[in-house]
Amino acid sequence: MSSRLDVRIVPRAFLVLPGLAVVAWIAYKGSQDAQIFWIVTLNGLTLAALFFVVAAGFTLIFGLMRVVNMAHGSLYLLAGYIAFTLQGSWYGVSGNLLSGTPATVTSWVVPMIIAIIVIGAAGVLMQQVFLRWNQGQDLRQALITIAISVILADQMVAHFGGIAESIQQPATWPDSVSLLGVRYGFFRLVVVVGAALAIGAVLFLVIKRTRFGMIIRAGVDDRSMVSALGVNIQLVFAGAFFIGALLAGLAGVLGGTMIAVQPGNDSAFLLDSLIVVIIGGMGSLGGAAIGSIALGLVNSYADVYLKFGGTDLTNYAILLTFVLVVAVLAVRPLGLFGRPA
Amino acid sequence: MRARRVQPIHIPKEVNLPRSQRSVGSRRLFASIALLPLLALAACNSSPSNTPTTSSAIKIGILSDCQGDFGSFYNDDLGGALAVLAAHYGGKATGAKPSDGMTGAKIGGKDIQIVGFGCSDSTANKAIEETRRLVEQLGADILIGPLSGDEGIAVANYAKTQPNKTFLNGISGAQDATLKVQAPNFFRFNPDGAQWSSGLGDYAYNKLGWRTAAVIGDDYAFPYTSLAGFIAEFCSIGGSIPNSNRIWPPLGTTDYSSFVTQIPKNIDGLFVGVGGAGLITFLKQYIQLRGALNTKHIMGNTFWPDPQLLKAIGTPMVGAVAASGIAGDASFPQTQAYKQELAIYPATQADAASVFTLGYWSAMTALGQALTSVNGDLSNGQKALQTALASTVVQGPYGKISLDSNRQAVFDNWIVQITPPPSGSNVPGIKTILRVPKVDQTFGGFFSPTTPAPSRTDPTCTKKTPPPWVGNETPVDFSAGNVQY
Repeated sequence: MSSRLDVRIVPRAFLVLPGLAVVAWIAYKGSQDAQIFWIVTLNGLTLAALFFVVAAGFTLIFGLMRVVNMAHGSLYLLAGYIAFTLQGSWYGVSGNLLSGTPATVTSWVVPMIIAIIVIGAAGVLMQQVFLRWNQGQDLRQALITIAISVILADQMVAHFGGIAESIQQPATWPDSVSLLGVRYGFFRLVVVVGAALAIGAVLFLVIKRTRFGMIIRAGVDDRSMVSALGVNIQLVFAGAFFIGALLAGLAGVLGGTMIAVQPGNDSAFLLDSLIVVIIGGMGSLGGAAIGSIALGLVNSYADVYLKFGGTDLTNYAILLTFVLVVAVLAVRPLGLFGRPA
Repeated sequence: MRARRVQPIHIPKEVNLPRSQRSVGSRRLFASIALLPLLALAACNSSPSNTPTTSSAIKIGILSDCQGDFGSFYNDDLGGALAVLAAHYGGKATGAKPSDGMTGAKIGGKDIQIVGFGCSDSTANKAIEETRRLVEQLGADILIGPLSGDEGIAVANYAKTQPNKTFLNGISGAQDATLKVQAPNFFRFNPDGAQWSSGLGDYAYNKLGWRTAAVIGDDYAFPYTSLAGFIAEFCSIGGSIPNSNRIWPPLGTTDYSSFVTQIPKNIDGLFVGVGGAGLITFLKQYIQLRGALNTKHIMGNTFWPDPQLLKAIGTPMVGAVAASGIAGDASFPQTQAYKQELAIYPATQADAASVFTLGYWSAMTALGQALTSVNGDLSNGQKALQTALASTVVQGPYGKISLDSNRQAVFDNWIVQITPPPSGSNVPGIKTILRVPKVDQTFGGFFSPTTPAPSRTDPTCTKKTPPPWVGNETPVDFSAGNVQY
């Protein structure tokens, strides 16, 4: 045991110094223009909130069922398209960006609820039809879900086209709000962050305080024992898949309103969820929260602060995301909150 | 996850078994493996190969993007090219969509066979993969394409390895593809990105009074070129765009907020070169962070007046000025003829005023004229065709397009203003206000084969002799009906 610890101290020592340097650099750049620093931080945190909603579903499914659902991003994107289509066809909300027929609270909320329920049901269907009979075969399940994601991606391009679409937020909500002297998008700051906090709290309570949560926690630790105790584990699995897919769907509608609904979002958000849960630890809700914040902040700081005098390295910003993953895995191979299965 | 102990499995080698016990005959195995890529090819290349082949047929491949930021223009691209065959050379559409294919066209007495459509995604390696498929596997004699900047540079370089084939650019607009690569068999009948931005530097400096500006564009070859045109002209007159005012989000960025944050606030104006699907996302986040667009302080490149994007973005852009090879309200006889030609594909016709439709239309129109003039002669490494193409002049819907000695288009650019939607519609209109005459790729010597390629930091901002059109733009008003072709 002691020799293993010794080996781990080495990468830690190597990481502390660069870590301090990064913090010092951000502090230095931030002190030059506090307003920009504040906006960039908000960008990171609001993006983190969206990542959290996507990744919470992903990590829930993985933690309980050991299924790496590679179609999670497709569910995210499909929800966005469903809500966008319903907004247009039921309420006549114009697809125009910020012009044309405005959306109301009803014409935003109803399509959202329908989209997330449809996506939750689609998740259960996917689990029952494709994954249930492959229980425990991780690789096969990953490959099946990759296949589903590829098929869905092409079908969505064929059906919805390749141009970015935008779900309209209710016109009665303000475009932006002022916070500590800066103007910031209302939807991003209030709705998305609020939704992420609410979901975090509800999931926490459900998992820690309810019988269903108790079964999920027990299932994460020992599936066969839970099953042997007379719990209908298949029903629990279906329930977990429903909630996981539903969260992907909710994130899709939030993301489609906050940013856009466009081809490629599926793989982008799948990758982001993977990074979040790798950093945070597969199956841990707290890990997903920490991982989302880390990824969101690294993304937005790297886009702005990778400039050293006249040398502009912001085009390498994407690499820093993976540096983050490498750094975390070097110190904690199972992620920050991960536990061995 | 518990690791399972893996039992070693012994598989007797197939060749050591008697033939009757072999699971798959080795020849059959080989044949089925060889068949796999062919099946994959057949799947990619659904319709066009059902044309009967004659030995003398001229084989044409068309390469465009069906994925990525420009994927939504796929049928506009193919439709622009194929409509020419239908209108002038007897082509019959195989289905309602351009991608369904076309048969029956004849030019100079030779059958035209469309061997396939290439589907790329704005990346150079995918474009080359698809080019190879069309040229080397399906045997295209002539390739029309590609769509996007990096792809164009890659295909122009590839053209050098195939001197006996002819390449006509689709609508890619990176400067290097012609100015630096100079493949003798690569012809571009559309302007590059810098040419499309011509006239705007002058307008910003002298009409809007900008002195310090910032630019933002996706991080790849086309926006580099597009913004280089603005920077070169604006700086040559005396404006300033330091490197710290040039912002480059990666292509495919979904969240532009960090990049909007970096746009300096103490500037007179912002030139936006974010293209395709990204423009919608960018403007939405810009409005959230900075408030409504002030169109005296923001301008756009050639994407702004695109019909699909105007429809998606709507009224926030009204009043903004942009430059484009397309005068959306033009009323030349050639404009009407062009729209008429596209009637075979109604969806493409609706996007007639899109650079994507026009680029592919121009390439096929030039090819048709050149092939007619040489009677379809592709012998001797297509030299006759290539010579004819170099001197071909296309009577385009928005003005004449000729080629310079680098086989790059010379044309008149247009400065347009986005106008409020007509009543009963929420799609803004276009009013052309200025003609920028005879725009060439070098900007009167500003760019040359030896100047650094447009990049994140080039061209540097220097005051020097402005391009020849500065101060010589002519006001136009198509509603008055007296604009000369």
